[in-house]
Amino acid sequence: MNTYFCPLQRSDGFYLIEQIKITTTLQYYYMQRRKSIKNMALLAGGLIALPTWAKAWSLETLPPMALPLPTLEGNTLALIIEAIIPESDTKGAKSLGVPAFINTMLADCYDKKVVENVEKSLTRVDNIAQSKFQQGFTALPLAQKQALLLEIEKGEDKDLKDFYSLIKNLTIQGYTTSEYVLTTFLKYEMVPGHYHGCVPVKS
Amino acid sequence: MANLNINARKKNSYDAIVIGSGISGGWAAKELCDGGLKTLVLERGRDVKHIEDYPTANKHPWEFEHRGQVPLALRENYGRSFMREETLHWALKADEQPFVQEKPFTWTRGYHVGGKSLLWARQTQRWSDFDFEGPARDGYAIDWPIRYADIAPWYSHVEKFAGISGNKDGLPHLPDGEFLPPIELNCVEQHLQGVLAKNYTDRQLIQGRCAHITSPQPIHLQQGRGKCQHRNLCNRGCPFGGYFSANASTLPWAAKTGKMTLRPDSVVHSIIYDEKKGKASGVRIIDANTKEMIEYYAKVIFVNAGAVNSNMIMLNSISERFPTGLGNDSGVLGKYFACHNYRGKANAQVEGFLDKTTSGKNPSNGYIPRFRNVLKQDTDFLRGYSIGIGAGRGTYTNRDGIGEDLKNQLIHPQLGNWNVSAWMQGESVPIESNHLRLHTELKDKYGIPQLITSVAWTENDDKMVKDFQEQVNEMFSRAGFKNINANDTKSNPGSDIHEMGGVRMGADPKTSILNKWNQVHDCKNVFVTDGACMTSTGTQNPSLTYMAITARAANYALSEFKKRNL
Repeated sequence: MNTYFCPLQRSDGFYLIEQIKITTTLQYYYMQRRKSIKNMALLAGGLIALPTWAKAWSLETLPPMALPLPTLEGNTLALIIEAIIPESDTKGAKSLGVPAFINTMLADCYDKKVVENVEKSLTRVDNIAQSKFQQGFTALPLAQKQALLLEIEKGEDKDLKDFYSLIKNLTIQGYTTSEYVLTTFLKYEMVPGHYHGCVPVKS
Repeated sequence: MANLNINARKKNSYDAIVIGSGISGGWAAKELCDGGLKTLVLERGRDVKHIEDYPTANKHPWEFEHRGQVPLALRENYGRSFMREETLHWALKADEQPFVQEKPFTWTRGYHVGGKSLLWARQTQRWSDFDFEGPARDGYAIDWPIRYADIAPWYSHVEKFAGISGNKDGLPHLPDGEFLPPIELNCVEQHLQGVLAKNYTDRQLIQGRCAHITSPQPIHLQQGRGKCQHRNLCNRGCPFGGYFSANASTLPWAAKTGKMTLRPDSVVHSIIYDEKKGKASGVRIIDANTKEMIEYYAKVIFVNAGAVNSNMIMLNSISERFPTGLGNDSGVLGKYFACHNYRGKANAQVEGFLDKTTSGKNPSNGYIPRFRNVLKQDTDFLRGYSIGIGAGRGTYTNRDGIGEDLKNQLIHPQLGNWNVSAWMQGESVPIESNHLRLHTELKDKYGIPQLITSVAWTENDDKMVKDFQEQVNEMFSRAGFKNINANDTKSNPGSDIHEMGGVRMGADPKTSILNKWNQVHDCKNVFVTDGACMTSTGTQNPSLTYMAITARAANYALSEFKKRNL
């Protein structure tokens, strides 16, 4: 199955015609954005630092539809998401494109206050990492990242807790609704073709 | 010039016009076209072609960019219904048709070809004479001009074509129909069925009869429809034609006759009354795109705009002969408007049955037909309610922790306990003060007067909700269910999406608008056969009855047309 979100096949098909213009502009925008990141990377040759938000994104994980979020600290955010559900012998949040999904959700589905708290909290997470481990969050080994996040989850700071709870829930949502998880582990059936009202539970 | 006008009039002339392409309009179109009438079907919304205009029907969860949530920027432009990415294409833009709620009213509309037939709950229970004789026996509203015997053959007619699954239950107050094999009750529903059979003589739990094809017959295959696939994604439109919708069934059938012209984007303004001929001559529409007013002409007009809109059209059809609305000599037009009382909702937990679960998805539910005041008056409120029953077993996942542990929990969901829920469908007694009328100043963007809704619950409704709460508590307790919550949600009238009345049928022109054939008493070539025609509301999901009433009226119209009486 094709998991790429083609903007012209948005679910709000009702406005397909009306949105062609808009989506074309957006497509153009992303094309340009992808190009410019690629160009920046090429020109830089590794010498000039990319903006921090761009580090975590590969061309594949760039959100195809999300509006630009220049202030979002994507780097730290992406690594938080990857720490919540890491890669192992099964796929984790990163390879399932969850960071890109969350970027889209934050851009489109949450009001300004929530997104501002995400931005502030990302800086604060980095500050906590600095004061605790003398390095930025992104540089921490996985176990330390997770320990730090668990501490936030159990802590008293409401803004940080709200931030983490939102990101964790979105991570779980993105992970459990991915094609990989649904079809590999969760017995996803789009067309059951039958209904039986009383069958033995299979052990 | 005169010739030009004659030509223009000819170009816009049909034998019949059907206003509305939904569940009843589709039936009017089918029957009239089958009878050979050149028929124009007007729909105020956009076109929706079966399968090709169901953009989300085959999308997987991961293919929704926001996993179903609607972006904030889009939310602002819509009302509240169908606010999911999966169904946003059915949602109504907020500025499409503002209305004034003199009393709180929830109005869910389906403005596209097929209307709410794409979005309905698909439950199809027949009425019986315990319903048709209700007003006369219990002294409310007015007597129905028809009885079960009048409509029974037409129930059969529409059931065979639509495809209705169910059991022959042999209940006099919920007559059996032409059924395809039933969908089965699940373990807990069967348990409750047994408990009711053991403890009560007045009530039974049966499988709800529903408009899903469980075993396609030649008539369904001819429509290009197949078996229900138990996806329960019905609200996106069904690419299998597994459930009945106008889009999958009646409209393509009518189109195949070559007699139907479907005109979407046609907002009906009013019905044109010819003062000389003493009957209606056509319909005025506003083209939704160009805002141009256009007239179409026909000998027969069927009004199937959906109950509220049918009232609005009749009220807005002003002439010298009918200064307060078409056919309104009696003054009852827009009055005695009612709906179903869905306020009572209940849920409970079920112990046991842990070695059993369900497989596939259930498009139907259990159903307890009305048991209050059926044979005689036995409570302190009039009429009664039916109860929908659904049990199921969900899964849960432990979301604690982080990392590998969390991941492992998420991919190993646990089967939860069984739960059961119940919801009431109460008969609301139509009263004069519950009415619709048109605003004298405010208009919508098409220049059509805005609607005012003045519909409220009565003490009878309150008592009925209380009784539902008590009875569900008792039945669920006897079934051994735990943590029973039976609530009065106090939801608005209209939340049921079963709006009825305002253009009611009756034998006496002094107290009704329509005769027993759904003709306007004093404008016989206008037929109203959707929810607006209902004299009382019953406790059954009403769509099947609208379909049967429409098919009956359309066939009467055909015979009158052929006799040149219209």
